[in-house]
Amino acid sequence: MTASMKPTTLVALSAQGAGARLGNTQVLRGLDLQIEAARWTSIVGPNGAGKSTLLKVLAGLMTHTGVVHLQGHPLAAWPARQRAQQLAWLGQSEGAGDDLTVWDVALLGRLPHQAWLGKPSPEDYAAVENALRQTQAWDWRERTLGQLSGGERQRVLLARALSVQAPVLLMDEPLVNLDPPHQADWLHIVRTLVARGTTVVSVLHEISMALHSDTLVVMAQGRICHQGPCADPASHRALEAVFEGRIAIHAVQGQWVALPRTSKA
Amino acid sequence: MKQWVRQRPLALAAGLALLSLILLGAGACVGSTGLQSVREVWSDAVSRQIVWDIRLPRSAGAWAAGALLGLAGAVAQGLFRNPLADPYLLGSAAGASLGVCVALALLGASPVVAPWLLQLGTTGAAFVGATAAVMLTLALARGVQQTLRLLLAGVVVGVVLGAASSLVLLVQPQLMQAMQGFMLGSTALVGWGACVLMLGGWCLCMALAWGLSPVLDGLSLGESTAASLGLPVVPMRMALVLVLALATGTAVAHTGLIAFVGLAAPHLVRAMARAGHARLVLLSSLMGGALLLGADLLARSLIAPQELPVGVLTAVLGGGYLLWLMHRQNPVAVGSKP
Amino acid sequence: MKAVAFLLAVLALLWGVPAQAATSATVLDDRGAVVPLLPVPQRIVSLLPSLTESVCALGQCAKLVGVDRYSNYPASVRALASVGGGLDPNIEAIVALKPDLVLVATSAPGTERLRALGLRVVALEPKDYVNAVRVLGTLGQLLGVDSAKAVVQTMESDMRAAEAQVPMGARGKRVYFEVSPGPYAASTSSFLGQTLERLGLQNIVAGSLGPFPKVNPEFVVRAQPDVILIGDSNADAMQSRPGWASLTALQARRVCAFNKEDADILVRPGPRMAQGAMLVARCLQTVYGAAPALANTKAGAL
Repeated sequence: MTASMKPTTLVALSAQGAGARLGNTQVLRGLDLQIEAARWTSIVGPNGAGKSTLLKVLAGLMTHTGVVHLQGHPLAAWPARQRAQQLAWLGQSEGAGDDLTVWDVALLGRLPHQAWLGKPSPEDYAAVENALRQTQAWDWRERTLGQLSGGERQRVLLARALSVQAPVLLMDEPLVNLDPPHQADWLHIVRTLVARGTTVVSVLHEISMALHSDTLVVMAQGRICHQGPCADPASHRALEAVFEGRIAIHAVQGQWVALPRTSKA
Repeated sequence: MKQWVRQRPLALAAGLALLSLILLGAGACVGSTGLQSVREVWSDAVSRQIVWDIRLPRSAGAWAAGALLGLAGAVAQGLFRNPLADPYLLGSAAGASLGVCVALALLGASPVVAPWLLQLGTTGAAFVGATAAVMLTLALARGVQQTLRLLLAGVVVGVVLGAASSLVLLVQPQLMQAMQGFMLGSTALVGWGACVLMLGGWCLCMALAWGLSPVLDGLSLGESTAASLGLPVVPMRMALVLVLALATGTAVAHTGLIAFVGLAAPHLVRAMARAGHARLVLLSSLMGGALLLGADLLARSLIAPQELPVGVLTAVLGGGYLLWLMHRQNPVAVGSKP
Repeated sequence: MKAVAFLLAVLALLWGVPAQAATSATVLDDRGAVVPLLPVPQRIVSLLPSLTESVCALGQCAKLVGVDRYSNYPASVRALASVGGGLDPNIEAIVALKPDLVLVATSAPGTERLRALGLRVVALEPKDYVNAVRVLGTLGQLLGVDSAKAVVQTMESDMRAAEAQVPMGARGKRVYFEVSPGPYAASTSSFLGQTLERLGLQNIVAGSLGPFPKVNPEFVVRAQPDVILIGDSNADAMQSRPGWASLTALQARRVCAFNKEDADILVRPGPRMAQGAMLVARCLQTVYGAAPALANTKAGAL
């Protein structure tokens, strides 16, 4: 599917003919995608559409057919370290080590910037402090992950991704376990990053949150159904269609909100 | 920065080194002839031989074996992100047992023993068996890509090779006593040559594990996250598995299957100090060395002149201390510093 | 006929052995190591019960300074220092005794370690009658005595005496010798099997299965041995094995149960092998009646 590309915008991340398999299932079916730089793109779709897989393919974490380009160069051509400095990825939690402290976890995000076996530099410390403050985790940086609640954990993992300070940030379900105040914090963080030129791509289940983004990518069954600005009514119709008309998009106080459409109209 | 947090690992390392030296000195005094040999060390050549050629290499060898097992344990727990992982996870214990079994069977089979077999001895056979088993596990799992597959292959290899050992024992039941000796572990036959070999192996494995420790740190957040941080996960995991095989094989070849040191040492370190994997690997090694040396001393002295099997004492010492630590960290204290 | 063959082999070995000693001042042990004969050892440590017995049989008991914990014959060795077992020797204790000869089994661990510490270590393991004779010869050389020939001749005459004690009714009978629960049996290729063969008994367990195979209990029931030889600690459990109550040998009580001391004699392939044979012969007498074979041409040939 073609994207509605503004010719003046740069493309930070793009995929051509991307296909991927998980076991015996073809999850992505040769899709093309262009992610604009300095914009927030949200990928939405029903369960099993392949959103997480697409994000992993874009991050170069999965074997796939087709080509992915990062900042104009093929992803495969990037040396691992430089790629890690350019692209940060926050995945769904893989069972992190419970012994690590919040501080340690956030510091791990600086690995791409540190020399192998090198000591952390003042910039590293500053980046970690900044990230922890942004996610309101600074005050308990000495606690271990095992002592945190689900939401606190998620904020720490988010801080880890933020501390990389990469120009491209990919996040898979970043709002898991987060309560509304922290979801609002997250929104603020993303807006600030985008204003400073970071490219943010998120996979979100919370449609109302996704509707705050700049660009909406609607996926179903391994293909992209629609890609367009969030404010565009065409995007809203595509979104409602992909969820089989079970939701309705409404404007409420200057924001777009997705509400479930119950059986009675 | 958090100075006290930084210093604690250093203090622990210094403490363990000091403890090891003290225990080494004690090791020179413990044996079937007791302190008498130490007192006569200057006057009597045999006493000198006992202290210098028998007791000291045994003690140093016990430390080296413990250090290797502690190192392997830390690497295994980091690689598999599982606090229950021990060095024998990938089938190395079963492989070493089979090697020793086959060597004993061949050695006792004919009146004339092949010279290469004599040269290899049970030590070489145990080492070859341990490393071959890990290679087999890697081959079965087709590389280190998937952790679960690797663990499963390790279990399968362990079980199959264990069955092969049982088969050999069935044909030659007189080997069972000798095998039991190997299974329980002992430092009785460690001389300076074996000691030097183990210490050399330790230096190599430590250097490699230290160099690869950032991968272990990254892996603690998950494999995909580690890859996204630019870490060459697959080749380094392969290298770490080889370090694991080398360290375990070297220790097992000279002292038999000593249980629990590899499992307990990293936990004991984590209970006392917080450190990233670079320091954890070193501290775990020092802890393992001190643990096994202490256990060996007790094994030699508790019912002197007879000796207890070392494996029993490592379980009692290490397990007992862990239980006490767990007891201390009761529900009231959760969330606060130990 | 078998007895003749044995004796010829024995005498050949003995005549051959001094010729070997005359040409070199070393001897080859069972692991292929070359061991010097001089100086003549004065302090001996033995880590195998059958070797302890062999040393004493050669009259050199006084030179023993340490034995393993399983050596218990003759009674004088029990007072000696115990240096661990054959499989777990206490290296320090051995070195502390300052021995100039250490006798070990071929499969013993620690041989290389002891050699590295400068001790003279000889690995010998008598596994059957012929090898027991050979080991006696080698030991005789090592200890610088020539009593080996006399000891062997005594062994041989004791063996013949044991053969003569086997009652006529027991000759050719089929025997099952259970060595340990499992059940592990002694086959014809083991030294026990060879002894039984010399006594004119037929073993139900063939040698092709190995010297001490673990047999299927069903096999024993099918083979229906005429007489069963077993250690007395396992004899009671035999009755309760499934299907074994139908064994005619059990029903007719043709069972030879040996106590611990006698079992030790039976299972050690050392100088007391002839005594072990006599134990079997005596037991057969109680089972089949005490009439020994008279004017037996086989036994009386030599």
